[in-house]
Amino acid sequence: MEKRSARMKKTLSPYLYFVPALVLAYLFSYHPFFKTIANSLSLVNFSGKIIEFVGLENFQSLFTDRNFQTSLVNTFRFALFFIPIDLVFCLVCALLVYRKRRFNALNETLFIMPMAVAMSSAALVFKAIFNPTIGVVNHLFGISIQWFNDPAWAMFTIVFLGVWMAMGLDFLLLVGALRSVPKHIVEAAEIEGAGPVAKFFRIQLPLISPTILFIVSTRLRDSMLLSGPVMVMTSGGPYRSTQTLVYQMYIEGFTAGNYSKGSAISVVVFVLTFLLILLAFRFERKGVFYQ
Amino acid sequence: MNPFMKRSDIVKATGATMLGLVVVFPIYYAFSASFFTIGEFSTYPPTLFPSTLSLVNYIRALTESMLARFMVNSLVVSLVGSLLRMIVAILAAFAVAFLKFKGKQLLFFLVLGTMMLPGDALIIENYLTISRLGLVDSYLGIMSVYLLAPVQMFMLRQSFKTIPLTYRESAAIDGCSDFKFLTSIVLPMSRPIVLTLSLHSFVTIWNTYLWPLLVTNNPEMRTVQVGITMLGYADSLDYGPIFAAISLLLLPSIIIFLLMRKKIVEGIASGAIVG
Amino acid sequence: MNIHTHMKRTFSLTLLLITVVLFAAGPLFGAGGMETTSATGDSGPVTVEFWHSNSGLLGEAMTELVAHFNATVGTEKAIVVQEIYQGKAADVATKLRAGLQANRAQDLPDLAQLDATGVMDVRDSSMMVSVQTLVESDPDFSLDVLQPGTVLSMTYKGKLIGMPFNASTILLYYNKDAFREAGLDPERPPRTLAELADYAGKLVTYASDGKTVVQYGFAGVPTTYELVSWIGQQHGVSYLTDKSNGHDGNPTKVVFDSEGTLATFLDEWRKVYASGGLGNLTSDVRQQFIAGKTAMFATSTSSLATVIDSVGDRFELGAGYFPMVNSESTGGVNIGGGAIFVFENHNDPGKKAAWEFLKYLMSAESQLFWHQKTGYFPVNLGTYRLPEFKEHIAKNPLFKVAIDQLNDSNPGIQSVWWPNSYQAYFEIQNGILEMLEKGLGTEETVEKLSSVLNRYMDEYNRMNKE
Repeated sequence: MEKRSARMKKTLSPYLYFVPALVLAYLFSYHPFFKTIANSLSLVNFSGKIIEFVGLENFQSLFTDRNFQTSLVNTFRFALFFIPIDLVFCLVCALLVYRKRRFNALNETLFIMPMAVAMSSAALVFKAIFNPTIGVVNHLFGISIQWFNDPAWAMFTIVFLGVWMAMGLDFLLLVGALRSVPKHIVEAAEIEGAGPVAKFFRIQLPLISPTILFIVSTRLRDSMLLSGPVMVMTSGGPYRSTQTLVYQMYIEGFTAGNYSKGSAISVVVFVLTFLLILLAFRFERKGVFYQ
Repeated sequence: MNPFMKRSDIVKATGATMLGLVVVFPIYYAFSASFFTIGEFSTYPPTLFPSTLSLVNYIRALTESMLARFMVNSLVVSLVGSLLRMIVAILAAFAVAFLKFKGKQLLFFLVLGTMMLPGDALIIENYLTISRLGLVDSYLGIMSVYLLAPVQMFMLRQSFKTIPLTYRESAAIDGCSDFKFLTSIVLPMSRPIVLTLSLHSFVTIWNTYLWPLLVTNNPEMRTVQVGITMLGYADSLDYGPIFAAISLLLLPSIIIFLLMRKKIVEGIASGAIVG
Repeated sequence: MNIHTHMKRTFSLTLLLITVVLFAAGPLFGAGGMETTSATGDSGPVTVEFWHSNSGLLGEAMTELVAHFNATVGTEKAIVVQEIYQGKAADVATKLRAGLQANRAQDLPDLAQLDATGVMDVRDSSMMVSVQTLVESDPDFSLDVLQPGTVLSMTYKGKLIGMPFNASTILLYYNKDAFREAGLDPERPPRTLAELADYAGKLVTYASDGKTVVQYGFAGVPTTYELVSWIGQQHGVSYLTDKSNGHDGNPTKVVFDSEGTLATFLDEWRKVYASGGLGNLTSDVRQQFIAGKTAMFATSTSSLATVIDSVGDRFELGAGYFPMVNSESTGGVNIGGGAIFVFENHNDPGKKAAWEFLKYLMSAESQLFWHQKTGYFPVNLGTYRLPEFKEHIAKNPLFKVAIDQLNDSNPGIQSVWWPNSYQAYFEIQNGILEMLEKGLGTEETVEKLSSVLNRYMDEYNRMNKE
């Protein structure tokens, strides 16, 4: 009897190491995930109860909803500006400092400093410096843009904040990649008389391209989930020009109490991020890091 | 290396410094504006330098709001949250790396699969769960959704796997239990990655905004990231205390960041910190 | 190898950790944690949790009112009110919705201040305690002391659902110096939209390039808030939707299309845009007015004290009646602002303590203080008879303009209570902007707005049977 229970314990014990992770995975990932899918296929009343199964009707009405189309377009519009600006800016910074020279350690520190700032603080500061009346950005650049009133410009405040928040990490990844390009290849090119531009495009860029692809795919995924900066800086305005998918999901689910629609948007976000994570994995497996 | 810099290097370094100053400008502005008077916020053209170094905004931020309390809340949630998060990840990673049991791969992928389900998109249902558990306005409620970190579990597993199996065998011969093996051999050998991941966890939880906003109603339970957006001064153009609060928050973060710089850079280079 | 002990250790360690967490948090764990100071008797004071949306000067006034209550009535009756700023009115509603949806009394406050956008969320909830029942249970209090329009503004199906604590109307704010420079009479603000157009065209100023606007004549994009007055004042009284703007039940469709009221307004609004002096600004409009970037704007009277304070001596401030759509629109303005709603929450059985606090807030003296510090008009008729009130009005003529406008308005004009009010707000704004900037026709705009707003109501009514 005792022997058997000891054996049971022995077979059971490995599972116990897994229990906390499994419980959490169920509670905060799988359970809400399946609940969201169920809601997206049903009519859900104000107090969150499913009253009727309607199949794909919510998705049909979602895709004909101008409001949702706006969110979808805005989310991709953000990504379209955010990722190239982030990449080019970080690449320029990385190319300037990747060789160990005097002052470069200092410059490196300046570039990664935004990593020390949390999103909500950063968003409040950006909101103030872009403010059309009291803000210093218009003044310093001698422009008079109504950043938060002009639908053409409001998204850029979010893009700039996004780049600022992302650049520390992306810069470090790029510097790391540039430094791991074998010296002898670069030197060989220099001896052959390649100028800095040719050297970059012919040697360095191809060799760091896995890192670039990795950054692009993870940042694409981040873009699909953008909501915090929108909430603090613009509340989706003006004229919904900064309303993103996750922000609309939050509004539908919490502010408007339309759980069917909110859940349907969540499912769209799942699909988009799932595809992008797969993309990221592909690049990761190809060996992004040279270390 | 040549002690004298080439001209092109000087140009590059100057360019980099100028870009770097643009990058840190918002941080500079936050500190500078924390000394502004109300009048200085609405002067035109806007000022960049405070006229005095009066601490009045700091005093107001600390006395008129619960800023200190917000910071304590954030500290508790981030410290305890990252500790629990590491424990959960370590236990699971250890079981995957060293123990043999049926369905291991399945369980592993079940946990790993949660990374496909971004928390932000699950926030509505997760709120309901926390509310039904009676955890609104509690530390546990705030940290709950961050306790499982599949990516970290994965990285720990990778790291554990580099420990040669012979260690395990000789430990077993010495009569060392699995758990003892974990605590006395595996963990000490994995100290660098565990530290890096803990640091990353701390920062992640410290920085979150949307979730703590949702699950806290009482100001006494608000985290600092939520608290500073709800100071309510902006309505009357009274930005001084907001910037003082931001600066109070920034100062320790920047100091810690500078002290930990090496660790962070290494963490990123080793792939332990992503996003 | 002794698995048993190591298992035990794993778990005692986990257990220990959890205990440490729980105890480290100690008394901070869980909701509330309000320290009680004035324990009278065995039971100790009752805590009343009050969520509100007042910040800046309004927030200071609220804090002062609460502190005064706690020091006087509260001390006497063993009640402690804890005021909690939850962000903007929409944020209070969002927080409340979350608690109502999970159906958990302990996540709800005792009292919450909401504006019209949040009413639909709470009015049918079983967790809400109608103010009518509290009024009826107290023989010492009568609704007759309250300004009748404000009572009507919070009445749903014949019952008072929330206490109209912070009542306001929309008001035109203008820069008298700018009027003088444009050769306009600073004592005669525009009375109709046609006049507003005329004034705006004269007030707009440009930079030396002749293109960049330095100062708009009027700034703002009308949305729900403006429309309840601009639609409401036509034909004596009009509504945006059926069921009297949702005050007689859940609205099912807009009526501003079939009644032609929206078209009338849009045609007049076009004139304002055509004047070249209209700035389609939606954010920080008040700040832009204070900074001299627009000569006129319209917002709630509740901003009066803040605007006076922020303008200071930058320029001479004027306030006027909200311009009418046209000279036939005589209804005046809608009573807006907010009300305090009462919720089930086990802190306060029978809601006795919450009711004491509400009565205090509604007293003639509290309403006077609140009026002076903010610009919300006194809801208690007794306030108007106080000598301090008369003195205040005499000294501050802008406050008088706001009160005169209220008295000249038809109390039948109601705020709109409809589902998806947050989204509807943006739909209207976007619709009007598109009409102006893309040159859409009036009819087309009316049709577009009606169909999208009707769709919101259909969706809601389908999911929530009354």
